[in-house]
This record gives sequence, structure tokens and C-alpha cells, in this order.
Amino acid sequence: MPAGSDHHGGGPIRGPRSLVGGLLLVGLAALALILTADLNPGTLRSMGPGMVPRALAIGLGLCGLLLAGSGLVRRGQALDRVSLRGPVVILLAVAAFALTIRPFPLGGLATPGLGLIGAGPLTVVIGGFASPEARLRENLALGLGLTAFAMLLFGDLLNLPIPMFPEAWADLFPAGWSQDGRLRVTAGLLAGVAAALVLAGPRRAAARVDVAGRSEGAR
Amino acid sequence: MSDLLANLALGFGTVLQVVPVEVPGLGPVPLPMNVVLCFVGCLVGTLIGVLPGVGPVATIAMLLPITFKFDPTGALIMLAGIYYGAQYGGSTTAILVNIPGEATSVVTTLDGHQMARQGRAGVALGIAAIGSFVAGCVATVMIAALGAPLTRLALVFGPAEYFSLMVMGLVFAVVLARGSILKAVAMILLGILLSTVGADLETGQERMTFGMPFLSDGIDFAVLAMGLFGIAEILRNLDHTEARDVVRQAIGRLLPGRDDLRQSGLPILRGTAIGAVLGILPGNGAVLGPFASYTLEKRLARDPARFGRGAIEGVAGPESANNAGAQTSFIPLLTLGIPPNAVMALMVGAMTIHGIVPGPQVMTKNPGLFWGMIASMWVGNVMLLIINLPLIGLWVRLLKVPYRLMFPAILLLCCVGIYSINALATDILFIGLFGAVGYALIRLDFEPAPLLLGFVLGRLMEENLRRALLLSRGEMSTFIERPISAGLLLVAGVLLAVALLPSIRRGRDEVFVEE
Repeated sequence: MPAGSDHHGGGPIRGPRSLVGGLLLVGLAALALILTADLNPGTLRSMGPGMVPRALAIGLGLCGLLLAGSGLVRRGQALDRVSLRGPVVILLAVAAFALTIRPFPLGGLATPGLGLIGAGPLTVVIGGFASPEARLRENLALGLGLTAFAMLLFGDLLNLPIPMFPEAWADLFPAGWSQDGRLRVTAGLLAGVAAALVLAGPRRAAARVDVAGRSEGAR
Repeated sequence: MSDLLANLALGFGTVLQVVPVEVPGLGPVPLPMNVVLCFVGCLVGTLIGVLPGVGPVATIAMLLPITFKFDPTGALIMLAGIYYGAQYGGSTTAILVNIPGEATSVVTTLDGHQMARQGRAGVALGIAAIGSFVAGCVATVMIAALGAPLTRLALVFGPAEYFSLMVMGLVFAVVLARGSILKAVAMILLGILLSTVGADLETGQERMTFGMPFLSDGIDFAVLAMGLFGIAEILRNLDHTEARDVVRQAIGRLLPGRDDLRQSGLPILRGTAIGAVLGILPGNGAVLGPFASYTLEKRLARDPARFGRGAIEGVAGPESANNAGAQTSFIPLLTLGIPPNAVMALMVGAMTIHGIVPGPQVMTKNPGLFWGMIASMWVGNVMLLIINLPLIGLWVRLLKVPYRLMFPAILLLCCVGIYSINALATDILFIGLFGAVGYALIRLDFEPAPLLLGFVLGRLMEENLRRALLLSRGEMSTFIERPISAGLLLVAGVLLAVALLPSIRRGRDEVFVEE
């Protein structure tokens, strides 16, 4: 989203936020019209697959035009400056999870399927950096701990079909172990590492979150 | 009357049913499984719902997979429990941190947080729980009483009536949305448009799928909801620099004193009535309940200046309205099969996963499930009272976890949760995509809630529109020639016209920007 917050008084654009919003809607409507162009609309008596989507797209486009028009005529709010860090990093983290939980075909190649044990910490560590306050050690500990928890909850307790380990690890465990046993031991190990990371880390000053006491009611 | 009692008895029978459960090491142990599920649902729902910035929609979407293992009745009871838990958790956050978890607890922040600052957080939480409980009891009886007659009404409805009813619901949603009406209309149209993605219901032709096979079944509702309400919410919260106002004062005693009770008795009853009536409206009338209750209490108060400075009536009334509305919003879903808001739409998703088609036939075909779910609402309210009051200390500690540690956890839960529904990596990518789109929309002052509602009703609307026109041989006049349909459209038209009048619009803004 482009940032431009200096359209207050003059100039032809009086409400940039409405204008951009309206143009976005027009764009979406145009896309829908293009995509439904070769669908048969049918008649009112027996509608084809194209009728309803196209009518909706036209309605949406009209809303967009009205909104964009009001952005030119009526004074409205400016666009805020948006930091791209959050959206970009969070999208990366989500994509990392999607691509590594199980092998994902990309063109001729496939991404490595790491299972939850790999995808979980990866997502948390990457995603954590969406906040400028992120610290690697803390995120790593959090990722390992949360993954251990998710393994126990979704794998052991609920038996949901989520790949837990990389496929290559199938022979790593002693043959007699049950699936649940493997999960419990692994989760225990992960939690242990997470705890060690937390304990080995530098002590932080105690007052971190409490920000009360700024206004009249606090004593 | 005897019908009502018999039905409630059937419901409570289902909920309290004792089944032998295999416990490792102990062999089969007789347990009231549905009560246990209700308890677990309430507890987990509160746990997630307490987190600032996670509302009921995101909570339910995230926790949907944990109900897969159980039979349909158990699963729905658990989901309902999660819903109440999340709802109540939102109120806890509103009182203790001044951050409303969702639209309906915005009002609670006004006086609830002031009470907390005066060292009366315990009383505020206590009266919220008591008010919710009273509201829950009344609403349960109301659902039981209205269930049968409304279901009979639903059986008379033809496609034209259904279509008009949904139009009315969407008009309600437009009128109740905050901000510009034009933007709300656009969001609803966009939602319906998204619902038409996928194979056409008659010809099976692919629509707007970009030729991608995973889109031919349409966009999964849980994916859209989790993107718009889970991921987009994280992105929005990351924009605000953290200034969380967790109360540092002692929580204080939990049980309200005699004066408190006397002051809040009538507000609780009034709030319950307002909330219960508004909650029935298709189109998320429940959102309006707390606002209406707060405005009413302020008007009726002998000294309105106390409001906003920790007036207990300002917590008791809206919280009761909130809970009553949360519960009566089940009525359109259970009787007509029309989800009035996003939470109920997730319930539809859950029912479909368990092979139940929501609608009037549920009550006759599956009475145990229908009445069991209603009875479980009352049980759920008791659970909330039991769970919440002793655990307040735990919630306070949870609220002090900084957001930089909280959002990666929410992110991981979203990813694992959505993957466990369909085991599709593309679903995960799509929550990211919808999250980014939702964030852009929020930044441009569009509200995602009407979009989701349009999406939910979209498919039903198209189906009924096409069927109605097929029956009338293409005559649009069928919608105004049939009396019920005409009445519903008339209500919708009048409502929209009224909302567009400038003076009412100002009033509407006032309700939402109550300071």
C-alpha cells in the first residue's frame, strides 16, 4: 500500500483512503468480470453459472466507483503510513509452515517435508520477527516449547493426521516404540531444550509489561 | 408448556448422560461425557479468548479440530462451550486490560475497566458472571420455547421466503456495521461474490477457480474466517505499539455486596431482555445488545455522570445483554438453518463436518442433538461461573504475557489448526493470503465482519434465488407477490431507508462511538 498522507487541503484528491478503497473494489470487480466472461449467464427463468457472480461483480464495481468518486469530492482521511515488516514476515512464516509440513511440489522440485517438529519452530522463529522486539533465543525457546505442546495436543491426545517427523526419521526410533511413545519422548526432549534455553538466557529486568499508572485512576 | 418441559428434560437427559469411558490404567469409568466436553470447551475457550486480540471467531476456528474426535452431539456441545468461554474471556480482557476482545465487549471496557482501576476488578468480573448467568438461564428457556413454533414456520417457507429473509439479514448487518454504509454494502457483495467461487451448483462448471483444482469445492469457510479474524488481527495488533494497561490494583473480592446487587438487579433483567430479542435477528443483531443496554441504563440512571467512571450498572446490563444475545443467536441457525453471524457460520461448518445439515429438520430428525445443545447452554453458563471466578488469578497472569510472545503462538495454532481440518498445504497458504487482504481492508476502513456474513449466506442465497425464479418461471414479482416474502423485503427496505436518513445516521454513529 503506498503511503502518502499529505493530501489535506487542496489538490484534486480530497479523501485518499476512500479513493484507494474504491479503486481496490473496482479492481476486484473487474477481475471477477474477466474470470466469469466465458460462463453462460442463462436467463432469469433458468439461470446459468455466470448470472449471479456477474451481477455481484457489477454491484461491487458500482460501490467502488461511488466510493472512489466520494474520495475525489468529499474530504476524507489520508492513508496511514504502513510498515511492511509485519505483513511480509507473517506471510513468510505462514508460507514456511505450509511448504515444510509435508513435501510440497514446486515446479519440478519439492520442498523438504520436515513434519511438525521442523515446521513448528521454523514458523514461530520466523514469525516472531514480525515484531521489532523479537529476540532469537527467546523465539527459539518459544518455538520448541509450543511445538512440544502442539505434538502432545494434536498428535497424542487428538490423533489428528499431521505429519510429526521428517519421513527420513522413520527408522530412527527403536522398533518397538508406539507412535504415541515417540511423540511423548520427542515432546519431552523439545520442552527440555526450550527450558534450557530459557534458563541459560540472560535475566531480563522484571518490569516489562506493566504500563499502568499513566492516567488518573492509578495510585 | 408440557411440550417445553418434555423437550428440556430430553435435552438435560442427553447432556447428563453417563457413558463408560476407557481411562488408561483404570478400565472403563462411567463419566458424564457431554458435561466433561462442555467443561473442557468452556475452559479452553476462555483460555484462548482471554488473549487480547483473539475474539470468538478466531478462537472457534482455531479450536475446531479438537472437536473432530467426538460424536456430533458431543462436538457441538463442546463448540458451544468454546463459544461461551471465548465470549466471557473477552469480557475479562475488557475489564482487566481495557482491550475489547470483540465488538460486543467494547462497552464493558468503559465502566468495567474503571471499576478495575478503583480496585473493584473482582466485583466487576463477578457481576459480569452473575449477569451472564441470569441472561443465560432466561435465554435457554426462550430458545426452548421458540424452537418448536419457529421450526414449524420454517417448514412453510419456500425458496422465495428464504431468499427475502436472507436479504433482510444482510440489510440488518449493513445497518449494524460501523462506519460507512456504502463500505458495508461493498463488503457484503464481496463476501457473496467469494462464495460463488467453485463449481456451479447446477451445471458443475468451474467458476473463478483460476483452473486450480483445490478451489473447485469453493473457498473453505474456516480458512476465510481464520485469515480475516486470526491472521489479519495479528497484523493489526502489530501496528499498535504495546501499551497494555493490565490493572495493577488488587483484584479485590469477587462477590458483589448487597448494594452492588441491588444496583445491578434491574439492569441485568433489562439487559437480558434487550439482548435476547436483538440476538434473534438474522444479521448479527447480538452486536447491538450491549450498546443498547448501556444507552438505556445511562438514560434511566438518576446520575448519568457516574457512567464511564465505574458504574456497576454499566457492566451488569451490557454483559447480560451480551450473553443473552450470544445465546439467542442460535435460534435462526437451529430453526431456519440460517447462520446470523460468523460464529454461527462456523457452527454450520462443524455440523456439516459431522454430517448434519442445519435447518428445521434437525429438530425432528435429531431431537437429542437439538435439545441437548440447548440444555448444554445452561450447563455451559454454570461452568463459566465455576471456572472463571476461581481462575481469575491465572487469567491476570496470562494477560501479562507480552504480545511478542503471544502472537507467534496464535500464528502456530492457526497453521496447525487449519492444516488438521483438511490436511491441505494450500489452506495454510490461503489463510496467509486472506490475512493480508483482510489487513489491507481494515487499513482502508472496511469491516471484515459483513464480508464473512455475506460469504456465509451467499451460497444459500444463490440456491434459493435460482430455485424461486425457476418456480415462478422467471418472474421477479414472485418476491413481492408472496405475502411473507413481501413483508420481509419491506422491513429490509424501510430499515435501509431509515439508516440512510441523516439524523438517524448521526444517532447511529453516537451509539458506536459512545465514550
